[in-house]
Amino acid sequence: MRTQVPNILGVMILIFFAAFPFVYSAGNYDYVMHILIIGFFYAIMASSWSMLAGYAGQFSFGHMGFMGIGSYTTALLLHYVHFSPEPTKLCTEFQFGETWMIFVNPIGVTSTSLTQDCLRQAMQIWDGSVAVTDVPVWFGVILGTLLGGLAGFLIGLLVLRLRAAYLALFTLGFAEIIKATISAEIHITRGQAGMETPALFENGVTLFGQVYSRTDKLPPYFVFFFALLFCLAILTWLSRSKFGLFVRALREDQDAAAALGVNTTRYKIMVFVVTTSMAGLAGALQAHYVGIVTPNALFLLQMSLVVAMAVIGGVENFVAAALGAIIIQVLLELLRTQIEIGPIVIDMTVWRLVIFGVLLMVTLRFTSNGLIAPIIDYFYRGHIGKETVAKRAKPTNEAEAN
Amino acid sequence: MFWGAILWMVVWGVIGSIAIRRRYLHRDLDTSNANIVGAFVGAGTGPVGVLFLWLRTPVLTVHYIALPAIITMGVFMFVFATSDPNNICVTNGTFVASQVVNGLVIGIIYGFMALGLTLIFSILGIVSFAHGEFYMIGGMLVYYITVVWFPGLNPVLGVLGACIITFSLGAAFERAFLTPMYDGRVARPVEYGILVTFGLAFTLQYFVQAVAGANPVKARRFLDFPRLRLPSDDDPWLLKSSRGSLELFESVTISSPRLTAAVTCILVLIALLYFLHRTWTGKALRAVSLDRDAAAIAGINPDRMNMLAFALGGMIAAMAGALLVQAFSWLPQVGAIPAMRSFVIVVLGGLGSLPGAFIGGIFVGLVEAAGTGCVPDPQKAASYIPAYGMLVLTLTLLLRPTGLLGRRFSSATHGQN
Amino acid sequence: MINLQVKNLNKSFGGQRVLKDVCFDINGPELIGLIGPNGAGKTTLTNILDGALKPNSGTVYLNDERIDQYKPYEIARAGLGRTFQVTRSFRRMTVLENLYVPALAVGNEQDRKIVHDKSMEVLEFLTMDHLCNEHAQALSGGQQKLLELGRLLMLDPDVIILDEPFAGVHPKLMEVIYEYIRRVNDDGKAIVIISHQMDAIFSLAQRLLVLDHGTIIADGPPDEVKKDQVVIEAYLGVDEDEEENDAAASSGA
Repeated sequence: MRTQVPNILGVMILIFFAAFPFVYSAGNYDYVMHILIIGFFYAIMASSWSMLAGYAGQFSFGHMGFMGIGSYTTALLLHYVHFSPEPTKLCTEFQFGETWMIFVNPIGVTSTSLTQDCLRQAMQIWDGSVAVTDVPVWFGVILGTLLGGLAGFLIGLLVLRLRAAYLALFTLGFAEIIKATISAEIHITRGQAGMETPALFENGVTLFGQVYSRTDKLPPYFVFFFALLFCLAILTWLSRSKFGLFVRALREDQDAAAALGVNTTRYKIMVFVVTTSMAGLAGALQAHYVGIVTPNALFLLQMSLVVAMAVIGGVENFVAAALGAIIIQVLLELLRTQIEIGPIVIDMTVWRLVIFGVLLMVTLRFTSNGLIAPIIDYFYRGHIGKETVAKRAKPTNEAEAN
Repeated sequence: MFWGAILWMVVWGVIGSIAIRRRYLHRDLDTSNANIVGAFVGAGTGPVGVLFLWLRTPVLTVHYIALPAIITMGVFMFVFATSDPNNICVTNGTFVASQVVNGLVIGIIYGFMALGLTLIFSILGIVSFAHGEFYMIGGMLVYYITVVWFPGLNPVLGVLGACIITFSLGAAFERAFLTPMYDGRVARPVEYGILVTFGLAFTLQYFVQAVAGANPVKARRFLDFPRLRLPSDDDPWLLKSSRGSLELFESVTISSPRLTAAVTCILVLIALLYFLHRTWTGKALRAVSLDRDAAAIAGINPDRMNMLAFALGGMIAAMAGALLVQAFSWLPQVGAIPAMRSFVIVVLGGLGSLPGAFIGGIFVGLVEAAGTGCVPDPQKAASYIPAYGMLVLTLTLLLRPTGLLGRRFSSATHGQN
Repeated sequence: MINLQVKNLNKSFGGQRVLKDVCFDINGPELIGLIGPNGAGKTTLTNILDGALKPNSGTVYLNDERIDQYKPYEIARAGLGRTFQVTRSFRRMTVLENLYVPALAVGNEQDRKIVHDKSMEVLEFLTMDHLCNEHAQALSGGQQKLLELGRLLMLDPDVIILDEPFAGVHPKLMEVIYEYIRRVNDDGKAIVIISHQMDAIFSLAQRLLVLDHGTIIADGPPDEVKKDQVVIEAYLGVDEDEEENDAAASSGA
């Protein structure tokens, strides 16, 4: 009975989040929805990271790098690749039957009007007579996910022999290379100025008979919500299959697992691919939701936010990590206030992250598996000690091994 | 032409690295250096050297690393000079001298800071992600002590104060958060340790931001040079000094903050070496880094050594910051780049190796000076230098995890297999 | 019929030869003791047989399948399992999960129910069934040794190498482990025990292999080997450079 409590609670949380956008109607609707959307984004990052670090023991600090690959893949693709029924005769273009695939030339950040690239020039000449189609957003998101996974595959291959501090440094180095490259290739990526991306639903969307414009928060809310559920479902399925068993064995003792017949190389790479494609997915979705991608999102501090969320939730339980991410994201927003104690005014906006950092350290120090995961464990595993004692009380004829 | 030559070097480097290792493995010889020697010989001498190694398979001592490395550098410089003869680094000798000296000076400071990181690693087996924050705090403390709290206080006292405070901070943090690493209470001690320092970095950075705000601060110069003209006032070709800087041979200009910082670093380094090699505590520290369990049996309390190492390491970073706050303007985020640089340096020099960290620091200082001075597009060079640093880091970890001068650690804490 | 053929195995670390032309055969479900002074190369030999290290030359055939170039997991699947000198259970997984790993990784049986039943059988055999849902780290040292044995039983290999199975085990439990080893051997598995505890070896092994300076210096029934002059010299003549040998061997391991 008791083992059902977390499941029931989980279903209740699901229903709450599914119903929330329809029930909530206060004046700060958009703001609250925005916070939850970002919360879902961090939840995908934190839960996939907890699979990588908590389950498989691969403490990677490059998760934000894979996210960046996801967001820049879709941003670059949608910016540079277009389709048109007529050749522009200005751009690099290839003909596929009736349509031309057009590669826009990079112009960097020099132009403010953005009319200098070859496609804009062509469109000025055409003057509206030719309809240029963009790559659909969903395709960019899928490609971002795939490339995130591909990068994870390569990194997984490279780090097979690295452990602990070496792995941490290598993955950190990878993320920094990605960031520095994006910042430096101003010509293509527009550097710190960032690249604008179309919204998830650029032309609006009709849901349940109601029309939502591109700035409405409800459609992206559900996109992120279902992306999170999708990721959690995959992670749950994996963790309950032998994949989960093997990656945990890998975490505990790689050599022993190999000696018992586990193809450690394969599972190590697989866990990298799965989790990094989730990071890529989160990054690609976030790029379209926010509307702009900048290399700032790849800074180490963003990574520490993800790590902290996963650790405080519980790094060895991805559901707990996801919940931790949402809760912390909401808490951090709630703490954007001022507290007045008598004459002292404390601006919590600056202090909240300090509190958060201390919470992270204290959590690590006193509970190895975060704050939420132990509660779930209590329900799932709390009875096991008693059971063992009860079973031991059964008379056994052989000598007890102690 | 330039990129063709680079490609040639890279290709032969890769071929040398793989082929020589194979060859040595096949011949049943020591392969620990084969990778790196093969890479350098291939890059520097092309097929000739690789063929020589392939046929003769000599025992690969350090000379076989150093000489090809120098040849490789030379070839690289030659290619650079011939492909871009109008570059300022080729035409202007005094500019080169100035860049080299300044690179050396800043490299000493880099190496000093990296030393702290490698010291922590050699004892605790963790890479402290809070290293950059200690650096930042060191500078902030000097600013607060000498400018805000006690205006006009001698900067030496400011630096001393910063050292004492950061040392205590490091010791307290180690005692409070890193001790559980060693009593079996946490399942994966090294990962736990890394995460906790991550948390510390986060906390410190936002704490300073909350206290000091986001505006850059700057401390004044610690030391004004006396006005000197050598050999004579009319023709000061040997040395000319003003309050803020020093000019040697009418070509090399060093600013006072950098020079004082580098000199102090060297003095502290000598003191540190004395401490590590001549005092009981220092020897105990090195003993723990070699073999924790054996040291414990010999009556050394490894927990005390942990605390000392972490506090010392943090203090060294803080000192580097304290000395550089007079040269750069200071922000709570200022630690990130030096921290990354320190990671690169310690990996390049070999995690846990003190001389490696120092030599690596000087090397990185020189390369940065060359990069910013010689590359035709300095803006792009400046943005790419961190990336190249990280490239060096990742390649070193892949090809030679022990770095140039590192060693393998016996204990499991250091995370080697 | 179980058949392991080790032929002319050579291994050196950085020019130092740790194994020199090691040859031996195992035919059928033998119970073999592998002994030798420190640094003789026992652990290196085990690591080569199990695939953690590659030999410089020589071959290993297991049931006519050449396994010396296999990766550890392939060797486990081919039918050779080993335990480690230091216990290496999956500490934060339950006892049952520890047993599932080899069964699901190697066995053709993927049905969870059947694997579970088989695991419970093994646990009952080891009288540990009451601990099935405990984390392995909650077990005592001796129980963890048993758990490692249990994992090997789930792996169900033809040849089992036990590296120091009695190190740090309570004397009372040692008798119990003897019994388990004998019963597993009776089940038709070849077992190689590496141990420094001579009494254990002499009371269990039907055949002794003595390794010294990387060569097999004696091979035969325990009573004969005990009297062998070469063996006696090897054991009395332990000196400094053999200790170094051992260091080289273990650092490479």
